[in-house]
Amino acid sequence: MKEKVLTEHFGLESLYKIDVYQKQGGYRATEKALKKMKPAEILEEVKKANLRGRGGAGFPAGVKWSFVPETDKPKYLCVNADEGEPGTFKDRYIMSHNPHMLLEGIIITSFCVGISAAFIYIRGEYEAIALRLEQAISEAYEKGFLGKNILESGFDLDVYVHRGAGAYICGEETALLESLEGKRGNPRLKPPFPASVGLWQCPTVINNVETISNISHIILNGAEWFVKQGLPKDGGTRIFGVSGMVKNPGIYELPLGTSLKDIIFKHAGGMKEGKKLKAVIPGGMSAPILTADEVDIKMDFDSLVEANSMLGSAAIIVIDDKTSILDVLKVVAKFYSHESCGQCTPCRIGNSWINKIVKRIAEGKGKKEDLDSILRLASNIEGNTLCPLGDAAAMPIVSITKKFRKELESKL
Amino acid sequence: MIKIFIDEQQVEVEEGMTVLKAAERAGIHIPHLCYHPAFPPEGSCRMCLVEIEGFPKLELACSTVVKEDMKISIKSARVVEARKAVLEFLLAEHPLDCPICDKAGDCKLQDYYDEYGLFESKFSETKEKREKKLKIGKTLILDQERCILCTRCVRFLKEVTKTQELGVFHRGIDAEVNIYEGAAVLNNYTGNLAQICPVGAITDEDFRFKTRSWFLKEGESICPLCSRGCNILIEYHPGFPRFEVPRRAYRIKARENPEVNGFWVCDRGKYGYSYLEEGRADKIILNKIEGKDVLTWENISEYLGEKIKRVSSAKKTSGIALVLHTWLSNEELFLIHKIFRKGLKVKKIFFADLPQGEADEYLLTSETSPNRRGAQEIGFDIKAVNLDALAKGTDFLLAFGPFLSGLFSLKALKEVLSKVKRKVLISSYLNEVNSLFDIVIPAALIAEKEGSLTNVDGVIQSFKPALEPPGESLPEWKVLADLGKELGTDSKLFEDLNSPGAILGEMGKEIPFFKKK
Repeated sequence: MKEKVLTEHFGLESLYKIDVYQKQGGYRATEKALKKMKPAEILEEVKKANLRGRGGAGFPAGVKWSFVPETDKPKYLCVNADEGEPGTFKDRYIMSHNPHMLLEGIIITSFCVGISAAFIYIRGEYEAIALRLEQAISEAYEKGFLGKNILESGFDLDVYVHRGAGAYICGEETALLESLEGKRGNPRLKPPFPASVGLWQCPTVINNVETISNISHIILNGAEWFVKQGLPKDGGTRIFGVSGMVKNPGIYELPLGTSLKDIIFKHAGGMKEGKKLKAVIPGGMSAPILTADEVDIKMDFDSLVEANSMLGSAAIIVIDDKTSILDVLKVVAKFYSHESCGQCTPCRIGNSWINKIVKRIAEGKGKKEDLDSILRLASNIEGNTLCPLGDAAAMPIVSITKKFRKELESKL
Repeated sequence: MIKIFIDEQQVEVEEGMTVLKAAERAGIHIPHLCYHPAFPPEGSCRMCLVEIEGFPKLELACSTVVKEDMKISIKSARVVEARKAVLEFLLAEHPLDCPICDKAGDCKLQDYYDEYGLFESKFSETKEKREKKLKIGKTLILDQERCILCTRCVRFLKEVTKTQELGVFHRGIDAEVNIYEGAAVLNNYTGNLAQICPVGAITDEDFRFKTRSWFLKEGESICPLCSRGCNILIEYHPGFPRFEVPRRAYRIKARENPEVNGFWVCDRGKYGYSYLEEGRADKIILNKIEGKDVLTWENISEYLGEKIKRVSSAKKTSGIALVLHTWLSNEELFLIHKIFRKGLKVKKIFFADLPQGEADEYLLTSETSPNRRGAQEIGFDIKAVNLDALAKGTDFLLAFGPFLSGLFSLKALKEVLSKVKRKVLISSYLNEVNSLFDIVIPAALIAEKEGSLTNVDGVIQSFKPALEPPGESLPEWKVLADLGKELGTDSKLFEDLNSPGAILGEMGKEIPFFKKK
């Protein structure tokens, strides 16, 4: 079993240049897809690969593509490179080390779905990476992998890089569309889903950078191979971003289903000198927290759901025993209160209310009933908001408050 | 039609309808704040969440489309809890200044709290401070603390007027409605914003602190200020006069009519209601009278009939002149047509209306009266007044309305009218020209009588009295119907024409345009 798929050539000098990329076999997948495969065959292969969305929700990519209706309207691809989930820093590595792998995925996806314009929506802070992407795009145009009649297949594609202006909510797919259209980044009401009514009211596929980056590998090596890299229901590898009190924070590409304990203690080198593990947030800040006793768990979508948490963006935040859980709660509450778009009532006011309570506790003015209030308010947010941000806020807040109640009570 | 179940009650509804609309059709109200029937569902207030069998989460009633056999619960414990939670959130950051809020008694947040809330506040943090008295243009005042961010105002200005003066600024708890720099709300439809605001965030200086909404009653009517014929509600004080300056009407609201004005009324219609009160004639004015000393509305038609009969039969056509206007209803114009044009063959018929105004590109038309189209469809040639032609050889002049004074100088009118032997004016207003007539009969306005109008697009709209006519005023159709009988023009017909409904029925028989479709 091969361990690295996406990060295999990372570290190779100038991999971001098209010549170097091509020397490593780059753009062979594109040639295969465009010259030897029909769109329906590509779709079938991606479906069989059980490639689940790497952005957080884990929706199977092939199924998502198949929701795009046959229509005379133009169709669009939006690559979500907003990477706003705290703790997450995997997409930036893919884009800066190997932008052409992403472009290949974009080309094949667009060919498969019948798309002739693709947008990479990248967070504003990634300025250097945006420039690198633009460089890669212009190389791809020069070599005929983008533009009109790509590889004489009759297929046209243009790719644009669009920089966000710094809002977490713009990583939510429909808010991303609004932002891309030049509007305030407020999430849209669903249904209709973007696959049928998306960018400029046209059918739109929205996938995460890592998801799209897997496509060329599926095309080259086949779905069967891809599934073997991970789990039957959850194909491929994941790039785990480990941060916090470990010896070697960074990204680790590992098969889906790798144990969290191994990731922390083997791959990331274990805890820093003198630090003991207290808790782990396993899938970006929105994922419910796990205590030190709960880390013996497989890192895949279903195992984490079973443990009442989620794999999310596979960003692992390791918290040590010297870190006050109240500080963690403070950061979480402040973040979601600050990043709520303000459109719907429970998220706008609920998160601000919780943040006000947590701030007060941190100022030493906590009251006996505060923790119950936080739990009550969070449960009134969860499931009742317009977009997933409400749940993303409520879940970690509830889990932190419940699992570390004793420690929090000592601060009241 | 498909069947759905709302709290076990079976309801037949049209396919494609939303749960909220379907419930409304069945007479079941689902609480909502951001939803407004004029706009696509917004889904942001979260008040209309309902439980639908088979759905794991609560769903929005405003946007979920009904399906055959859908089982919806709008009162389950889970739904009520979610609704209370939304109310609790909204009230946590609400100033709760209801005693000094102009919207009190007319506020959805208040109503829903009364229905679902009545809980104690558990909010012990500091409320956000925001602008409480922001003038956003014309007479509108925005209180950002009361605003619940339903964005109805923002959407109205985006989708209806397309002027986009308001937007949502900042995010999270800092999100607030505000005006874009240098963009005051100055379009011709601003009054609707105060009406569609479900809370006291946008109030209207025209109404603010003048009375309390619970003192008011509302009557349905049609706006007469242009030829669109927007459907309106007149909110009036039933206990008037209550203040030193007697005033009945306090506010005009738009009344829904998809065929004519949607949900809206323009600012001229909204704020131009002083015509209902100011300078109204409420007593019969006798400047010059022979014979009987007392003239009451009961014998007016007798008096008029007698004067008309006195005009020598040889001179019937040229000895009688009429000045009309197009605030008269279809029925009134038809009676005039029957009596004077058909019966007496009168030729000298002129129209005195206000000059044309500026139309906007939406509801407001350039015509400043409501029934020009009706007059045309009845067959009148709408000729402006020619004073010389009017007076020449005229023994009897019957004029309607106050508009002559705006068209000619008093001097010119006096000179010409002095040549006419007998002249009677039927008008709603005290006006300098009144002194030039022998008798002035006070007339009811459209808001005070029954009848119908034909709007610019040919839509015939009936109306009923919303207000009492002041003093001795009476509707013109009554005088005319009696006069018809008095003159015996077509006595059999006039016996039956004793209501605007009957007159409109007769019109339908004679003029195909007015036939009931």
